Amino acid sequence: MKRSRRVVLTLMGSAAIGAVSMGLVPRRDCGPGNEAVPGTGGRTYCRPVYRGFGGTPGRLHGHAHGGHGHGGHGGGG
Amino acid sequence: MQRIVCPERDDWHATAESAGFDFHTIDGERYWDERAYYAFTLDEIERGIETPTAEIDAMCLELVGHAIDDENYLRRLKLPEAFWPLISESWHRDDGSLYGRLDLSFGAHGPAKLLEYNADTPTSIFEAAVFQWTWLEQAIERNIIPKRADQFNSIHERLIEVWKKLGGAHHLHLAGMTENTEDAGTLAYLEDTASQAGLKTTLIDIEDIGLRDDGQFVDLDDRPIELAFKLYPWEWMFHDAFGAKLLSAPTRWIEPPWKAILSNKGILPLLWEMFPNHPNLLPAYFEDDPNAARLGTSFVRKPLYSREGANVALVSAGTTLVEQEGPYGAEGFIRQALAPLPNFADQYPVLGSWLVDHVPCGLSIREDENPITGNTSRFLPHAIL
Repeated sequence: MKRSRRVVLTLMGSAAIGAVSMGLVPRRDCGPGNEAVPGTGGRTYCRPVYRGFGGTPGRLHGHAHGGHGHGGHGGGG
Repeated sequence: MQRIVCPERDDWHATAESAGFDFHTIDGERYWDERAYYAFTLDEIERGIETPTAEIDAMCLELVGHAIDDENYLRRLKLPEAFWPLISESWHRDDGSLYGRLDLSFGAHGPAKLLEYNADTPTSIFEAAVFQWTWLEQAIERNIIPKRADQFNSIHERLIEVWKKLGGAHHLHLAGMTENTEDAGTLAYLEDTASQAGLKTTLIDIEDIGLRDDGQFVDLDDRPIELAFKLYPWEWMFHDAFGAKLLSAPTRWIEPPWKAILSNKGILPLLWEMFPNHPNLLPAYFEDDPNAARLGTSFVRKPLYSREGANVALVSAGTTLVEQEGPYGAEGFIRQALAPLPNFADQYPVLGSWLVDHVPCGLSIREDENPITGNTSRFLPHAIL
């Protein structure tokens, strides 16, 4: 609550207040980790997406392989 | 508290997009809405919102202190037993909280009432911290609002300060569902504030977190994740594939595991038990508690776990007036007394009162034609006049 405050972004946004555009595409949002799915009467509602933390194949890293195993990224289920 | 209709800035779309705020419009519907704003007196802000927010947060911390090692509380909250040690250790280690948002009913009659606490994964912080401040400055310059107008808002500078405290010399990873537009915006904004605090940061999708055979969570470059901000609910972390590895991994999480207690709607009846008749609380009971009958036939029914109003039902005189669809409710429900939201021009505003490191420091307002605030509610700015 002080009018002299300056709110500056250094990473976010573009042009006058930053250098990097996020390139976001507007779409329906359902909050963290939710997805919109068709409901009754033509309405949509939000439900969790249960892929999440550790849900992608190939994410158990073995040192013996000498590298990381993120190759399964993009899968899920 | 007033709702004041005002002209929009003719260039606000471009201003929003240049700031990275591209989710101002969702499915062709306004999310950011500056065709009106809410005006408060300084006394309403300080005594009506700021002071109760601090008091509610203090009550919440007292509740956690009671619940943390009490099997009775943890069972009532339906927290999975396997994670009780993780939750307890994070509390006793004093793992810090970055932020949270109390949703309050305010402006109808009497004091602010706690509707719920978004303690774990609150979003809309960019709009609250940055874009409504930009609106205030430009609206003053353009004579849209009085020159004396101010705003309850020091969220941005508080975040930067708290990152310095929480971050130390650690590299910070920020994890979440980066394909979700709003989550990506929230993560980008928080990363920006952490960077301004001097932290080295890496943004990572929650699905890209790896697990090494030594039990260490790592990023895509195999860098160990020592300190992670996660925009991903604890109850999902617990149930996901890597959940069982949380106990042995050395990663420190923000928000910390003890916030799993406060993000549960079961705190509403527990707070009412601990602080009966507190002026900022609504009567609330677990649905299977015989005392729930005290609410009579009019109440709000909420799942223990729910987000964006999903599965919340408004019951009046035994009839369900409004119900939001959704997938929640398997863990049970609570019932909370009806707190009529103020009606301004057939709009129902809910106040979001922000805490950063337990300090009340900002306000956001979501407005809806529906008395249950959901994911399509619009964000309106506010001013102190």
